Amino acid sequence: MIEIKFKGRGGQGAVIASEVLGRAFFLEGRYPQCFSLFGGERRGAPVAGFLRVDDEPILLKCQIKNPNQLIIFDLSLIDEEEILQEVKPEGEILINTSLGIDSFRRLRRFRIGLVDAGLIARNAGLGATLNTAMLGAYARLTSLVRMETLIEAVKAVVPAKIEANVRALREANEQTAVYEREIEK
Amino acid sequence: MKEFMTGNHAIAHAVKLCRTPLIAAYPITPQTPIYEKLSEWEASGQLKGIMMRTESEHSAMASCIAASLTGVRTFTASSSQGIALMHEMLHFASGCRVPVVMANVNRLLAAPWGFWADQLDSLSQRDTGWIQFYCENGQEALDSVIQAYRIAEQVYLPAMVSIEAFFVSHFMEVVDLPEQEQVDRFLPPMDLPHKFDMDKPGFLVPVVPSELYRKYKHMAQVSMDSVKGLALQVDQEFRNEFGRGYGIVEPLMVEDAEVVVVTAGSITGTARVAIKELRERGYRIGLLKVRLFRPFPGEAIREALRGRKRIAVIDRNFSLGGGGIFCQELRAALVHSPDRPLVFSYIAGIGGTDVRPEMIERVCLDVMERTEPMDTPIWIMEEGS
Repeated sequence: MIEIKFKGRGGQGAVIASEVLGRAFFLEGRYPQCFSLFGGERRGAPVAGFLRVDDEPILLKCQIKNPNQLIIFDLSLIDEEEILQEVKPEGEILINTSLGIDSFRRLRRFRIGLVDAGLIARNAGLGATLNTAMLGAYARLTSLVRMETLIEAVKAVVPAKIEANVRALREANEQTAVYEREIEK
Repeated sequence: MKEFMTGNHAIAHAVKLCRTPLIAAYPITPQTPIYEKLSEWEASGQLKGIMMRTESEHSAMASCIAASLTGVRTFTASSSQGIALMHEMLHFASGCRVPVVMANVNRLLAAPWGFWADQLDSLSQRDTGWIQFYCENGQEALDSVIQAYRIAEQVYLPAMVSIEAFFVSHFMEVVDLPEQEQVDRFLPPMDLPHKFDMDKPGFLVPVVPSELYRKYKHMAQVSMDSVKGLALQVDQEFRNEFGRGYGIVEPLMVEDAEVVVVTAGSITGTARVAIKELRERGYRIGLLKVRLFRPFPGEAIREALRGRKRIAVIDRNFSLGGGGIFCQELRAALVHSPDRPLVFSYIAGIGGTDVRPEMIERVCLDVMERTEPMDTPIWIMEEGS
């Protein structure tokens, strides 16, 4: 079972991203379980989406405390100490950023993907909505889901601006830089 | 056909598949997505019925009762303060012997205010004469709504299907949607022996003398008692048609268990994981899920727990001054059990706090250390509090 946490700000599409990825896993015949923390949703406020996926139905009915994968939509939400505590040791992290890998030295025990999803989304005409760009990058980082399935899932969940969303998905998939984990000496 | 959806939407699908002609409801978080989905289908013409947007839950139930008396299938959904406001009409529904079906999304009762999972809202209605089911996930909720109509329309008593806020209502999971033809085969159109007729106006709910009231209530009890057997039979027929069923209680690995954990609702799923893990570490732990709460399946529980010595009931609900409500009922049902098992009461997950497998493990390890159950329940707090 893989546990994934999406962290963003209201309006960036982190919760929708978890749903699109959940649907993509579903379309590939797997058993996803997707949820968000509800109660405080509003533009700009920190939000979190969660996704479990397994090859058999998931029985757990509790929150995700220690994800295997963390997807960060907003650099201002990065708290390195918290990430080191929270993400499982063999975990993977995807960050939306224009910065290079040198800015994330403390996180090198994880496998890291960096993508300037903000720029890609803007260029695609999607404004501040990053979900499809982040998912394209996710497919590159993890190879857990096929791009064709993601596109199908986007069409099902985000019916507006389909062409722009598919463009962002592909662009981000190509532009994501992947850094293998550094073994601590 | 498999689909990916929330527990709320699974319930909406069940209502649509049952071709319910009359839905009367008032929105309340976290039930609102059921209401919204049904409204959406009404607008697009996919719903084979109409939505009455009432001004309160009290009126929603009054509308369901009145419509049901004319012989049509009815549905409402509510939660928390909504079902509390409906309370008076819940008694009327069972008293008028109408087979209304309601979905309740278990949400805590104010004050303080909150939207989180807690079963007290529907358990507070345990004496209103409604059949009550507690479901573990969206699939079971969908299936239970279909079963509830079959049962309710046979005994002329209303039925409530409960799922917990967030952990079931808002979790998206894979749900197997039955085909319309299958549901049509399983659930024939509602046919009441007596119904209101607009051309021949009648009157119900007159003042009755004491003896008639007593007679009426006794008849209701006989009908309600028959639900234990009927629910099992309907579940078996459901299994034959759809390939899955649940029973009214579900024992899991209890045969050799030193401790049996008893749960209802979503905590059951997490407990399945916790108990498998404990078994692998050599602990003989079993699980008993209680799905039917009204009527309370005492015989089935005594049968499932035969020979067991130590029971730990986990309640996501709490009757102040009493304790965990499932535990109270279970203790009462086991009073005549020749095995006289020790029944321990644990409270966990109140107000939607997270119940993780580790917490269930703590309950199991804790109960093995104890010799004497107490009247006061043991609260299991989340880590770090």
